Amino acid sequence: MSQYLPSNEMEAKQYHPRYRLAYLLVGFTVLVFSFRLWYLQIINGAELRQFSEQNSIKETKIPAPRGIIYDRNGEVLVENLPGFEVTLSPQYVSNLEETAEALGAALNMPASYVMQLVQKSRRVNGPFRSVRIKDNLTRDDIFNIEVLKQDYTGVDIKETVLRAYPLHENGAQFFGYVGEVSKRQLPLLNEKFSAKGIKFQQGDLIGTSGLEEGYDLELRGKDGISVAQVDAHGREAFGDPMGLLGSMGGVTQAAPGRNLILTIDKDIQEAAWQSFLEGNRIGGAIAMKTNGEILAWVSAPSFDPNEFSTGISPDLWRRLVNDPDKPLRNKPIQDHNSPGSTFKPLIALASLAENVVTPNTVVACPGALRFGSRLYHDHLKGGHGNIVITQAIERSSNVFFYKMGDRLGIDKMFHYCDGLGIGRRTGVELGGERSGLMPSAPWKKETIGEEWQLGENLSVAIGQGFVLTNPLQMAVAYNAIGNEGKIVKPFVVKRILSNDNKVLRENEPQVVRDLADPSGPYHVKKEVFKTVKEGLRLVVNGERGTARGSRLAYIEMAGKTGTSQVMSFSADQIYGSCEARPKYQRHHGWFIGYAPADNPEIAFGVLAEHACHGASGAAPVAKAMVAAYVAKYHPEWLERDLRKTKKAPGAPAAEPSSNIEGE
Amino acid sequence: MNGFQIEERGFFKKLDWNFIIPLLLLQFIGIINLYSATHGVAEIETDRLFLSQIFWLVNGWMVFIFMTFVDYQFFLRAAYLIYALNALALIAVMFFGKVALGAQRWLDLGFFSYQPSESMKLCIIMVLAKVLSQKSYPDGMGVKDLAFPLLILIGVPFFITAEQPDLGTAMMILIIGSSILFFVRIRRSILIAMTALLVVGATGAWFFGLRDYQKHRIYTFIDPNQDPRGKGYNSIQSKIAVGSGQMLGKGFRKGTQSQLEFLPERHTDFIYSVLSEEFGFFGSFFTIATFGLLYLAMLRIAQQARDKAGALLTIGVMASLFWHMFINIGMVIGLLPIVGIPLPLLSYGGSNMLTTMAALGLVSSVSYRKYLF
Repeated sequence: MSQYLPSNEMEAKQYHPRYRLAYLLVGFTVLVFSFRLWYLQIINGAELRQFSEQNSIKETKIPAPRGIIYDRNGEVLVENLPGFEVTLSPQYVSNLEETAEALGAALNMPASYVMQLVQKSRRVNGPFRSVRIKDNLTRDDIFNIEVLKQDYTGVDIKETVLRAYPLHENGAQFFGYVGEVSKRQLPLLNEKFSAKGIKFQQGDLIGTSGLEEGYDLELRGKDGISVAQVDAHGREAFGDPMGLLGSMGGVTQAAPGRNLILTIDKDIQEAAWQSFLEGNRIGGAIAMKTNGEILAWVSAPSFDPNEFSTGISPDLWRRLVNDPDKPLRNKPIQDHNSPGSTFKPLIALASLAENVVTPNTVVACPGALRFGSRLYHDHLKGGHGNIVITQAIERSSNVFFYKMGDRLGIDKMFHYCDGLGIGRRTGVELGGERSGLMPSAPWKKETIGEEWQLGENLSVAIGQGFVLTNPLQMAVAYNAIGNEGKIVKPFVVKRILSNDNKVLRENEPQVVRDLADPSGPYHVKKEVFKTVKEGLRLVVNGERGTARGSRLAYIEMAGKTGTSQVMSFSADQIYGSCEARPKYQRHHGWFIGYAPADNPEIAFGVLAEHACHGASGAAPVAKAMVAAYVAKYHPEWLERDLRKTKKAPGAPAAEPSSNIEGE
Repeated sequence: MNGFQIEERGFFKKLDWNFIIPLLLLQFIGIINLYSATHGVAEIETDRLFLSQIFWLVNGWMVFIFMTFVDYQFFLRAAYLIYALNALALIAVMFFGKVALGAQRWLDLGFFSYQPSESMKLCIIMVLAKVLSQKSYPDGMGVKDLAFPLLILIGVPFFITAEQPDLGTAMMILIIGSSILFFVRIRRSILIAMTALLVVGATGAWFFGLRDYQKHRIYTFIDPNQDPRGKGYNSIQSKIAVGSGQMLGKGFRKGTQSQLEFLPERHTDFIYSVLSEEFGFFGSFFTIATFGLLYLAMLRIAQQARDKAGALLTIGVMASLFWHMFINIGMVIGLLPIVGIPLPLLSYGGSNMLTTMAALGLVSSVSYRKYLF
């Protein structure tokens, strides 16, 4: 026997006294559980059976209203409106097909669509979630459903809150819109936000673009739950036979989201939008205070975000996506273009700071400049004659800046333009900001694999070649010129308020860097800024300024026009009429600047796409924004007429002196 | 009356049918019940759950038969290695694991998500059976005897699992391990000291050390996925479901609580309430009694084991199955607080089915090589 069994066979018997305890435990457990089952199923069974058949507990979500968005003076920009929706609770439906038919007929939609919605929700949210069939019900819808509810169980009408945008198309890309969480987003969102304790369901609202997206966590409130007893058909029931519900019943109120106070001024916003509408313009514009507070933010053409609140139709969505004018794009930060002549003041600043030219140096500017084998043209066929740097800015001389570009070289241009923020994100809180591009020799070597060509210095100096930027970035750079050195971080949310309007957070203006800082890497002297500013003042107020048409009597604006070529043309085409070309071959027009010219309070950046000229296409928008600003914040200025009191001093060395620089 | 007879008996005769019949019965009940739980009137596309459970059941039986044929001594010899590999997998979960339901418990193996803490229970049983059967403790285990098995073998996986955080499984690891130690026998003085320490410490902490919100936090720590409202909701709904079954139940797939608005976990942790509602006291009692029979059969197998290791192995597996059932059904019928512990052989779940069948396969292996008196 020992050859089959191990030697410790007897030892296993050591345990025998212990088994009694185990048998007892098993027996005892079976007994206790059986008694408990007896108690529940036999003694209380009838009562609980009744309870289970007549009553069950239904949890209904009470959606939290999103926070309200105000402008800087407390005017409502985005709010909520009450609405009604019809829902279907599949577990209470006796015959789904019939109910779908009836609902479809009452709401004017195919029954198959109702079935689709129900099946989709089951897949995503399980079988016990009520399914939203249609929201934003009309009075007729509500009446039809009320009648239908008598015959079909599981159909409910619920109150909802609809996100409303009283400005409609105006600033739609800026404010963004809300949409329903889709099936595809659901797992991603839940993973992303699980740490924050937020759990999404399909159909929940979420900010999907602009401010609504960027500040979604603040704006979204906490949904409430109402717990009610309902019978097996989903109707609310009363009575609580065993006191089982106790604390369970009742309502947890929804907590509304936080309110935002923006830096936006509604009047300036409206003025900007009106001027886009009147000129039938395409493009983007922003205005900001010199400390970085954005006052207006417009992108055109636009769309009505209210359409998204009620569930956008696939048709409209397709139209928006395929529109060649890109209405969904937030143009002030998402469109990339070469800055054209608006880049010249930045080069002027670099030239003066590097002493390759002085304010009094007179430079000969013929109609074209030969560089290597290529002829670089001025936009004025005859050239500008002998001019100083302020005149070069005023008249937008290409040849003058070709020469500056040649003298500076790319490294120095990069140094100052990069310092002014070209090719860097401004850091504004809106999503999707593109950085633009300020090229440099190492950059070209690395990305394209070619050496920097000297001819490219000339292109960069007039804002062409690889340079790419957007209206916000340019406004920040010009603002730094206007306030003599400070690059600010633009921002749009001034304060975050709790839903009972206590201040939770306040955003302070931030200076990112100061180009005038004598100990910094740029240490640009005040006189340099003053000279460039004088040039910018002349653009609007000088005798030959390119934006003279947008002059205002009561305030001196300063700025610079520019055009950005959509495609390159041969020499003779350059002088051809831009307006004669097909729309999508026309130049973009720029106007960037600030006001008042000597001591700025507001900076602006306007891009008018396919408008041919900055002066006619973009400058009127800037003029409208500045006018709205003055009318609101300095109404006393409206009486002034600066043209009489302040004679334009002109360029410091208007007469050509002896030190004309030749070719 | 000797080993020659054992040799001559055929495979089917050598199987312990007292053990296998209750097992088959429970699995049959489980499949019928799962079909009902996953095929509610309002449900579409839940065949996947049901079919995958059948798939795991078939695989489970293959594992069971394999384990039966292999001498359990082989597994005991490799016990340290298996234990170490599983502990590594547990640690791997901490770094590469999939986060689901607020805890990191699963390793994604492509075709299915494997939960190492589930098989860790079995590894602890094996390694304890090996270690404790090597010595005999006529006066019970003293402090020195307890140190290694309790602090290292049980303690390490306990803390790793608690860290995930999966306090439910960690607690099961502790309970199963302690059951084996207790079975082997612990010195009375130590038992008394430990019990006293536990009672005094816990009551002291509960009444003086912890504030209300902290106690609350302990509840939510045990199962972070359920807020108090949700917990109360589940408990109440479960009691209503069980009670409304009355004597004979509402009938197959006729349970209003389970088929209509009921718990989301009805195919896993609350599977027993579906059974109670649809098959009444009759079905519920029958199931508990069958579980009881299965345990009795296992106790008998342990008593007849040819060596101490086999006995301890069987006791460990039995303890595991028993405590799972004890806590799960206790929770469903409202005797214990809500803890996320599955009901073996009845709940839906691949990892659980495979480990349970592997464990029962070990018991079967012990029974196959039993000593006949």
